[in-house]
Amino acid sequence: MSVQRERRPGELAFALTLLIFSIVALWQAYGISGFKGLSTAGVFPMLAAAAMVLSGLFIIKDILFGRSSERKIPQSLEVDHKVLTVRLVTMIALVIFYIATMPYLGFMVASAGFLFLSFAYLWRKNILISIALTGLTLSLIYGLFRILFQVVLPKGSLIQGLF
Amino acid sequence: MMEVFGNLSLSWFDPWLMFLTAMGTFAGIYVGAIPGLSVTMATSILISFTFKWPVNDALALIAGVFIGGVYGGSRTAILLNIPGAPSAIATAIEGYPMAKRGEAGEAIGLTTVMSVFGGFVGILALALFAPVISSFALQFNSRDYLLLGLIGILLVGSLSGESFSKGVFAGALGVLIGMVGLDPMTAEGRFTFGSIQMMGGIPYVAAMIGFFGVAEAFVQIHNLDLPAVKQKIDRIIPKFSDVKKYFGLAMRTSGIGTIIGALPGTGGDIAALLAYDHAKRSTKNPEVPFGEGAKEGLIAPEAANNAAVGGSFIPMLTLGIPGDAVTAVIIGALFIHGLKPGPLLLIDTPHLFWFLVGNLALANIFLLIFGLTGIRVFTKIVECPKAILIPLIIIFSAVGTYAIENNPTHISWMLVFGVVGYFMKTYGFQVGPVILGVILGPMMDANYRRAMIGARGDVGTFLWDFVSNPISLVLSVSFLFLLISQTPLWPKITAILPNSKRKQADK
Repeated sequence: MSVQRERRPGELAFALTLLIFSIVALWQAYGISGFKGLSTAGVFPMLAAAAMVLSGLFIIKDILFGRSSERKIPQSLEVDHKVLTVRLVTMIALVIFYIATMPYLGFMVASAGFLFLSFAYLWRKNILISIALTGLTLSLIYGLFRILFQVVLPKGSLIQGLF
Repeated sequence: MMEVFGNLSLSWFDPWLMFLTAMGTFAGIYVGAIPGLSVTMATSILISFTFKWPVNDALALIAGVFIGGVYGGSRTAILLNIPGAPSAIATAIEGYPMAKRGEAGEAIGLTTVMSVFGGFVGILALALFAPVISSFALQFNSRDYLLLGLIGILLVGSLSGESFSKGVFAGALGVLIGMVGLDPMTAEGRFTFGSIQMMGGIPYVAAMIGFFGVAEAFVQIHNLDLPAVKQKIDRIIPKFSDVKKYFGLAMRTSGIGTIIGALPGTGGDIAALLAYDHAKRSTKNPEVPFGEGAKEGLIAPEAANNAAVGGSFIPMLTLGIPGDAVTAVIIGALFIHGLKPGPLLLIDTPHLFWFLVGNLALANIFLLIFGLTGIRVFTKIVECPKAILIPLIIIFSAVGTYAIENNPTHISWMLVFGVVGYFMKTYGFQVGPVILGVILGPMMDANYRRAMIGARGDVGTFLWDFVSNPISLVLSVSFLFLLISQTPLWPKITAILPNSKRKQADK
């Protein structure tokens, strides 16, 4: 029944990270109220963290001894073997940059920059097309959120009150 | 009675509510259909935009998106062989071969009619059974709620994803995220690290949008270059003889869908697969073999997954236990509007319940209208390049997260969850149990402690309570069964039982 499958790159490292995180969480949960009573604030967090540690160990066991994929995952939903591609890392960096600059530039300017850079990077069409697309989508976003949904958009400190 | 009818038909006569429902359904069909956009993603983002609205308006829009989205997944399954949602996997198996034969229009028409049919069965079940279950649920104790929460998380964890341990891990992680902040009972800080920001807890909308929106956008970056397939579409209105012929099957699979949807922890995707299996077993002589475009295999999952919508509202509204990721998100929406899903919802706010039922029915009618029209425009929109879609999803997610409390740090949380969610998805974890854990965690914690205080802190009494009360006993047994059936102990147990050889042979 068990199907031996290829280990995905970085799978073991990820599982180990999860396990370490769980152990730290368990230690922190213990710190809340220790073993002072069975109905204290720390009991449930400790139970949850313990469940994480335990299942984390099983996950590592499955990776090492390859008994895991008993369940057939439909092809279309199976995630690719690619994990960290240049494209993904670049996009994550762009998002971090976008979120970091938003308090300074304001939502509209930061979003314009983010949209333009990611359109230009992902779509690789003419620069003018990317600029036009950025303008179009940005005005759609503004109309939808600011006018229709009346959401407050983050304003920046650079050009106070304008964007 | 008149009052019930009045609330039931509220959105049918109020033009604004009707418009919102129609818009929701329409948008839902497209969101569900575009691969990379999911109903869960759309609902979690929508919640943050609609939380200032009157509750009826927000619910009308969200109900529409849910109904439309569950159906929308079938469109791309048929046309492109890409299920827009996991509940449309079985639809793709039969629908795509039909499309390749040039019967895409017929497949879509039949799917629409049967989806609407299934939807009505589910809504009828909701209207009939929710009040009964709700009054029964009044007898539930704290420990019963604890057990229901555990069963819900375990079911989602075990039925989706690659392995049981991954499901448990995801669920427990969610519970842990839900614990962060000041303890509501004693005001002790939990995982706050002395930071005031953390004392308010981790906003669950940021977690939802991060795990379902941003993480999915990152996953889609790998699928940037998938070519779009074009299909010929002709006749859309299905033949009456077909509808008549498959009526019985649609009825049966709608029943399956409703029941599966109503079980805590199971939703449309499982309902669809079980219904497909049922159709395969019960159809003796299909016109076309299964796997090559059998209409039976197309109708069954679609009727079932739409029936599951009504079904999944039953535990959500009566017990406060969401059936799957989408209903977990909708429960979040109800909380934000100050409502408390649970047995008291039908007693305190019956108008809201009947409004929801009427609204779901209305959305279903719009589904029929939109489902049978505008398919040519539809194919154009679905071909929207991912290179445009992905940056937009990220912007929508950022605005949505910010909108709830106008707090920029929530956007950073969203990104953290997005990156973690991406790795979890990549390594075969499901993010659904995480969200279920975040929503159910605080509820389970409070109920655990109430039950423990009720037992005066004595472990013996506490455990005895789980088996001495009939309701608790049934729930405890189901919980243990669920747990043991997923461990290596299970094959050993079945080997001892009689008839085990036959069971093994069946597999």
